[in-house]
Amino acid sequence: MPVWNLAKKILLHDRVKFVVASAGVSISVMLVLVQIGLYAGFMQTASTLIDHSHADVWVTRQAAENFDFSSPLDDRTYYRVASTPGVARAERMILAFAQMKLDDGGDLGIQVIGIEHGARLMGPWNVVAGDRARLGEPGAITIDRSEYAKLKIRDVGHRTEIFGARAEVVALTDGIRSFTTSPLIFTDLQSARTFVRYGAEMENYVLVQIAPGADATAVRDALRTIPHVDAYTTAEMSARTQTYWSSRTGIGATFFMTAILSVIVGLVVVGQILYNGTLQHLREYGTLKAMGAKNGAVVRVIVYQALISAAVGFVVGGGLAFGAQASMKGANLIVALSPSLFVATAVVTVVMCALASMLSIIKVLRLDPASVFKV
Amino acid sequence: MTAPLAQLRRVSKTYGAGEHAVTALSDADLEIHPGEVMLIEGPSGSGKTTLISILGLLLKPTGGEIIVGGKDASRMTERELPDLRASTFGFIFQGFNLFPALSAVENVALAIRMKDARAKDPTGQAHKLLDQVGLSARAHHLPADMSGGQKQRVAIARALGGNPPIIVGDEPTAALDTKTALGVMELLRGLATDQGRAVVVVTHDPRLERFADRVVRVEDGRIESNLRAAHALAS
Repeated sequence: MPVWNLAKKILLHDRVKFVVASAGVSISVMLVLVQIGLYAGFMQTASTLIDHSHADVWVTRQAAENFDFSSPLDDRTYYRVASTPGVARAERMILAFAQMKLDDGGDLGIQVIGIEHGARLMGPWNVVAGDRARLGEPGAITIDRSEYAKLKIRDVGHRTEIFGARAEVVALTDGIRSFTTSPLIFTDLQSARTFVRYGAEMENYVLVQIAPGADATAVRDALRTIPHVDAYTTAEMSARTQTYWSSRTGIGATFFMTAILSVIVGLVVVGQILYNGTLQHLREYGTLKAMGAKNGAVVRVIVYQALISAAVGFVVGGGLAFGAQASMKGANLIVALSPSLFVATAVVTVVMCALASMLSIIKVLRLDPASVFKV
Repeated sequence: MTAPLAQLRRVSKTYGAGEHAVTALSDADLEIHPGEVMLIEGPSGSGKTTLISILGLLLKPTGGEIIVGGKDASRMTERELPDLRASTFGFIFQGFNLFPALSAVENVALAIRMKDARAKDPTGQAHKLLDQVGLSARAHHLPADMSGGQKQRVAIARALGGNPPIIVGDEPTAALDTKTALGVMELLRGLATDQGRAVVVVTHDPRLERFADRVVRVEDGRIESNLRAAHALAS
């Protein structure tokens, strides 16, 4: 019988202790997955508009730190961008806050995304009802299914007001949510200017599609020579947005601190259980050493027990994380559980359990085989 | 007489140093011969445990020589000793020291594998050893489901793993009733007579002397007598 099986039997003999150790690892794994998954979900949401665009380069006002709070540009900038060598297509876009009138008489803050009629670089995706083509009509808007409860709107054709201007829902989307928690409303550029009270020639982003064969970073550098603007490739813009929300708001530190605490809790629980188990079997380990078993062979029995705890805890914890993901979906929270997150968490779990076995290993390494005669 | 399997020559053991030094064993000479059952008797604290710990290469003496299989074990490093110990000694204890989670055959197989990671078919070997001690019918029982005598037989089978020529027992019958204790000693006697193994047993129980070839008496850290069993009984 392999040593692996013997280690499993020793571990499983005391079912209660094994269940407690596995529960410790499982909860630790679940918390790590959910915390990092929630963080990744928030970051996805923060940059979802950028990541769903077809732009190669984004042009914005110089020194605009935050994607959601950018200052306006004017059409002169747009024309200079459009005429820059290497630019195949340029589209204006507005992203700004406004107030929508609710049926009950109240107001709700929303984020208006204004796109040009026939825009190809930005637009609503996952349209589940209505007609996206009607967005060119004055006052036409889309709303997202996830925001029904806030907006109290469920149907295409619903009419409302945004900052006093008439708006009509012409399409419904699914899964387009904002990090700021204000519902995202797509509309046409002219309507957006009305809704957010921008002037007739104002926008705050110019989206660029580069010409075939052109280099995105070279075009970006050329666009940066235009006065008072910054330009970023789409990947840079996405990372910059995520970094802002992650580091400037402390949200990243909060999630990662919780994840680290979860690992520490798992470490302590597994360490305690393994150490108690080792103490319980100290005479037996001493007997094996007295009979000539090398330290490595005895240590292997303990390490295998730690790895079995890690494997069981990871499988159960992973399942719990999927359960949490499903239940949080109802609360409009995205828990992004990617394969790479699972791989990283598996590595952390194995390291955590290996570290947890260190005390036991030290105890066994220091165990004097002669001590078996003294017990 | 056959050549000894192990010899202690003027072996001493002192714990601590200076004013706090305690001498547990002084100038002990002992020869362990194949096929011989040796009882080591003496009052508590007399040095019996120190004597068998040094004999079993579990404790380094502060003086003297230990010759095992023709090699001077007292000069060996800590890294060299486990291999010599594994190939020469099997141990049995008063408390059996069996893994409660493992069946009889698994306890024995684990010891075989731990002694030699490359051992061929340790489970098959374990079954044969349990058969030798008359426990093949209980091979798949856990220690909790066995009597004290059966557990000690499993421990003896485990001690025989790797085929060591010397079995060292530390009061192996102390936790057993008289009938069971005598049964275990009969088994150990048989290992010496039938298989030529040397059996060294520490005991307080004079009833076991009838199974012995030699009785060694230890008092105050010294071997006071080392007599053939018949002489020991007579004295």
